[in-house]
Amino acid sequence: MNLTLPALGPALPEIVILVGALALLFLGAWRGEAARPVVDFGAILLLVLAGAIVVLLPGGTLSTFGGSFLLDPFARFLKILALAGAAAALLMSFDFLRAEKLERYEFGILVLTATAGMLVMISSNDLITLYLGVELMSLSLYVMAAIQRDSVRSTEAGLKYFVLGALSSGMLLYGASLVYGFTGTVGFPGIAAAAKAGSLGLVFGLVFLFAGLAFKVSAVPFHMWTPDVYEGAPTPVTAFFAAAPKVAGIAIFVRVAIDAFPNIVPQWQQIVIFLAIASMVLGAFAAIGQRNIKRLMAYSSIGHVGYTLVGLAAGTPAGVAGVLVYMAIYVAMTLGTFACILAMRRNGEAIEEIDELAGLARTQPMVAFLLGALLFSLAGIPPLAGFFAKFYVFLAAIEARLYALAVIGVVASVVGAYYYLRIVKLMYMDEPKAAFEPMARPLGFVLGITGLFVLLFFVYPAPLVAAAQAAAQSLF
Amino acid sequence: MTIAALFFYLYAAVACASAFMVIAARNPVHSVLFLILTFVSAAALFVLLGAEFLAMILVVVYVGAVAVLFLFVVMMLDVDFAELRQGFLQYLPVGALVGVIFLVELVLVLGTWAVAPEAMRAIQAPIPPLDQVSNTQAIGRVLYTTYVHYFQLAGVVLLVAMIGAIVLTLRHKENVKRQDVGRQIARTRAMSVELKKVEPGQGI
Amino acid sequence: MFVIGLQHYLVVGAILFTLGALGIFLNRKNVIIILMSIELILLSVNVNLVAFSAYLNDIVGQVFALLVLTVAAAEAAIGLAILVAYFRNRGSIAVEDINLMKG
Repeated sequence: MNLTLPALGPALPEIVILVGALALLFLGAWRGEAARPVVDFGAILLLVLAGAIVVLLPGGTLSTFGGSFLLDPFARFLKILALAGAAAALLMSFDFLRAEKLERYEFGILVLTATAGMLVMISSNDLITLYLGVELMSLSLYVMAAIQRDSVRSTEAGLKYFVLGALSSGMLLYGASLVYGFTGTVGFPGIAAAAKAGSLGLVFGLVFLFAGLAFKVSAVPFHMWTPDVYEGAPTPVTAFFAAAPKVAGIAIFVRVAIDAFPNIVPQWQQIVIFLAIASMVLGAFAAIGQRNIKRLMAYSSIGHVGYTLVGLAAGTPAGVAGVLVYMAIYVAMTLGTFACILAMRRNGEAIEEIDELAGLARTQPMVAFLLGALLFSLAGIPPLAGFFAKFYVFLAAIEARLYALAVIGVVASVVGAYYYLRIVKLMYMDEPKAAFEPMARPLGFVLGITGLFVLLFFVYPAPLVAAAQAAAQSLF
Repeated sequence: MTIAALFFYLYAAVACASAFMVIAARNPVHSVLFLILTFVSAAALFVLLGAEFLAMILVVVYVGAVAVLFLFVVMMLDVDFAELRQGFLQYLPVGALVGVIFLVELVLVLGTWAVAPEAMRAIQAPIPPLDQVSNTQAIGRVLYTTYVHYFQLAGVVLLVAMIGAIVLTLRHKENVKRQDVGRQIARTRAMSVELKKVEPGQGI
Repeated sequence: MFVIGLQHYLVVGAILFTLGALGIFLNRKNVIIILMSIELILLSVNVNLVAFSAYLNDIVGQVFALLVLTVAAAEAAIGLAILVAYFRNRGSIAVEDINLMKG
């Protein structure tokens, strides 16, 4: 019997975040709302510190807790991305929450626990760790969606998110139990060894498992919660939802598909292709009639998940590298766009109507230029970063002989470009409305960095692409 | 063997029937009570399977905590139960049809369940013989050693639940008097007693 | 008939899962019933896991079930808290009334 403690080193980022969150929670409970600035600052510091630890831990593949926890280059890449997304979203939230009188020190704590859950998901190498990570993230997110507890819209968003999220967790678990029952193990390497083609029971488990995962990344047909939750939740929470949890969801999707089921690729490939096509098409068409910009971003995120899954459907190292590059660029584009949405305020009130952006180019030319660049990039117009993101996944799909998938993807992105370009036209061609309040400094900071990244990515894409390729290679 | 089989059928039937009543009962309070019955029957099934610790935990955690929590909320939310249940039956035929088809498919797959040939070799932690190690000990030996992070993460999940419940529902009302031990102890004689010189025959 | 095997327990799990799923989709009136249906689904998962654990003679299944139980309790607490917050704003917990945002 082994009674020694397993090595804790590979889990150090998670441990730092959770212990730090506990300390901040004590501080908040002790000092009350007076501790809020300290908690906010401490939360960002902890996220940055965790990112530094991820970088500084010895390289290669580290594994601990009986092989159920893995820190490989794939996990490192996505962890840094998730931490960056969470930190930026938290940074952007402060001014908005203060203006809406929503400042509560628990917000920062919940961001930390949710992020810890994401890191656990990204590192999970068995079904139990995966489930615990998913639940730690999801439970924090349910509360964050409903955190504006005096608003009907926010609590309704929280309730919808909770009911559908809990249902998806149930499906994921049912699938996990069937997979465990068939293969006799919860570890991904063991599952990969036992899961060979031919068993109907295993395929059932796989379908349930993937349905649960599709819910978490809001892929069609499991996307129903996304528009309502994005619209109803307070905008900084929506920005957080759109950035960080997507990274973690896609990470486990890829990890489960590639690591646990490498021997039954045709079975899961069909599912992923279906999810990808449905998400791309619905994301492109359903967004056209939207008037609320948060709803628009919800459909946009559904579409982008579809494009990301194209890379996974290829099932090759190039495809996974495409997924990673796509996620990195998606997080940057989303954060930048939400920085602009958070800055849409007039007379102390937040504005969510798309039409109110009319003539922004004349009132705030710099913001309009960067937002225009981000929207062009979301549409996938060269030479901006979003074009390269789509280029890599479609290229991988063509190399894997999924021609129809690539063609549908290109058509969907052309249709989808329409509603992004409509906003650009509004900003540059239409008569200006009253000016927005000047942008808060953290928002300007995030917008500036993401805007420059999107504009200048084509000059020097090599480092990101090389890192993604190395990370993808570690999975195979 | 037949006794065990009879008990299996008894508890399985009670569990399924009361689970149906959970979703079909007209009164939410009845639903909660049927939920408790379902959990108790499931706990009995766990005992039949040799998972005693889980059976007891199921009774303690679910019947003792979760079901009571449900009952609490059902009572607290003052809703008109009579009108709440009216719409159920109109969806029942279609729902029952879909449900039965889904169930038949599942049963067809599960009824012929075969475990992968590699599965028996993949076992990570075999259950030790019961006469040497009890079920509770066997779980503890896995949960507190190699897989200690499961235990810790479950603890964090419970902490998040606590934070969430407090964030969403706790309200400090302004006018409610509450005890403040610190202030009570810090009170001195000088703060609370004032001596007045009262002139005879005049009052204060 | 009188030898109870793995399949018997799996069928019980399947019935509980189906009832839970039906409870979520059929119910139009009361969100609390939906929360209870979620508990039913998680119970069905636990029946599955414990049955597999006994059949495979592997304790990990029971550990998994124990964690599912714990998390389910936390989930119930959060769900009910959100429900209470919603009820305070809306004054109703009917499923049909959760319709402020559509699209």
